[in-house]
Amino acid sequence: MSAAHDMLCDTARAVFAEAATAGIAPVEEAGFGLLLVPEEDGGFGGDWGDANAVLQIAGVVVPDLPVAELIAGEAYQPAATVSLMAGAMGQALVLSIEHVNTRQQFGRPLGKFQAVQQSLAVMACEVRAVEAAAAALATRLDAMSLDPSAADFEIAAAKLRANRAVGVVTAIAHQVHGAIGFTEEYDLHRVTVPLMRWRGAHGNDAYWAARLGRQVATLGGRGLWEAMTARGA
Amino acid sequence: MQGFALYPFDPPGDIAALRADLRAWLAVNQPQGDVVARANCWASFDPDFSRALGAAGYIGMTLPAQYGGGDQHPLERYVVIEELLAAGAPVGAHWIADRQTGPLILRYGSEEQRQRYLPGIAAGELYACIGLSEPGAGSDLAAVRTTARETAEGWRINGQKIWTTGAHFSHIMLALVRTEEGSERNAGLSQLLIDLDTPGITIRPIIDMAGHHDFNEVFFDDVLVPHGALVGERGQGWKQVTAELGLERSGPERYLSSHALLVALIDAAGAEPDPAIAALIGELTAEMWTLRQLSMSTAAKLAAGEDPMVEASVVKELGNAFEQDMPRRVQAIVTGGWDDEDDLAKLLRALLIASPSFSLRGGTREVIRGIIARGLGLR
Repeated sequence: MSAAHDMLCDTARAVFAEAATAGIAPVEEAGFGLLLVPEEDGGFGGDWGDANAVLQIAGVVVPDLPVAELIAGEAYQPAATVSLMAGAMGQALVLSIEHVNTRQQFGRPLGKFQAVQQSLAVMACEVRAVEAAAAALATRLDAMSLDPSAADFEIAAAKLRANRAVGVVTAIAHQVHGAIGFTEEYDLHRVTVPLMRWRGAHGNDAYWAARLGRQVATLGGRGLWEAMTARGA
Repeated sequence: MQGFALYPFDPPGDIAALRADLRAWLAVNQPQGDVVARANCWASFDPDFSRALGAAGYIGMTLPAQYGGGDQHPLERYVVIEELLAAGAPVGAHWIADRQTGPLILRYGSEEQRQRYLPGIAAGELYACIGLSEPGAGSDLAAVRTTARETAEGWRINGQKIWTTGAHFSHIMLALVRTEEGSERNAGLSQLLIDLDTPGITIRPIIDMAGHHDFNEVFFDDVLVPHGALVGERGQGWKQVTAELGLERSGPERYLSSHALLVALIDAAGAEPDPAIAALIGELTAEMWTLRQLSMSTAAKLAAGEDPMVEASVVKELGNAFEQDMPRRVQAIVTGGWDDEDDLAKLLRALLIASPSFSLRGGTREVIRGIIARGLGLR
């Protein structure tokens, strides 16, 4: 990634950390509303790859603030929500790994138990799938000059895949944490409760499955493969 | 395992033309046999098709031209492979030789081995099998007991391999054997390239629950192979095999084996499907699209010279789950009897029966999840 992209992510982490207590104002003042505005119009000139990275950070640090709405309009909200979800799922995985590597029971860390290892492997696969979906959606939106109607297939597939990961990811994260993960003081709920909310926001599973399924039906069996390969790589 | 960086899938050359040429070639050359052969098609043995495919330049694509290869980029090969699988082409005869034995001979083999074997592999005429599993070494591969002792005449091999896919039609086996007397576990192992017509080798079929003959038992009774059969470095067999498994686990075959069933489901549903079937098509499409992104990214990482062991395992784990889930969910929703003879029913039956093997071959689900867990920093 470029130096400008790295700097953007560092800025997002710092500003969102402040916004976690201060509210949306610092995010607005830092100019995140101009992220996708072209440079000739006085904006940052970022692409959806930038938005994806910033929103993944927002999904961890400020899941309750309207950062996605500040960055992009209504038509982009399903795509933006995928990025928020990818970020929050990644954080749930990080917290889970830290917990099982430190919490000791039966004289050893929980992470030494095969049952726990296998659960976390299942969770990691779901998280990687959603991260890949978010990244591939960004690639398509950027190739199509941010025209969301040209990325309708990818938006539907990515949001549906992200929705379907929520149940597995939140369930395993809480299961391996035990009771501490169910407390107000511990950070896990700061990502798992937003994940539960985002699954139903901007199109639940049934909405996107029906929409994508009807679109694919018009392509026909062989047409699905031809359309998918024509859209990318 | 750090957060997933999507490696850009950016093959050189005109990829749209590569796809179009191959599709046109398949339209003429792909056998129009039973629809069931289009499912799980990397187990469909058709040497005539393999020879034609090799003559058209679609096998050994990444091998150097001096060995009969195409000097092409690994991601160009990836595009060809995913097209062949999506079309359900019968690629089983040459599959293992093209995917892993050829690249491994190029990487670790001697000049003599390269000249002797690679041109036949690239022509789609020389087939290979993998000698890893033994009766006492399944998931626990380091328990391999087949021995090869160095003598004045060459290597003398004694022991047994099992679950060897395609041994009955293969010309060569790349076997993992214990070359160092008294060695334990993953030390003291080496890879030998064995011509399967060597005296002392007995190959017996194992018929699977679908009634197919893919597996074999292979017995070695004082088999003598030349010194030059050693591939790579003596005692480094474990390291070489591990690299080979990376090639085996992340390819598009891990999510496209059952593609024929999705095609049949979509075609049977028609342009205005029942809402429940439309929803199932939507969910299966979303999963397949995501798997394709993961698989392409892993291929790009491999092509960049990095080791995608964990990413490859993620592709295999999710791909296996998708392919085992698909026939079960299709059966739960479509009407029709077990013995019906339409395409959808035949594919459904075949894949329900084949699907238990998906999370066994190439590493069991439990082993794969263990690799992922280690990548997460557990253990």
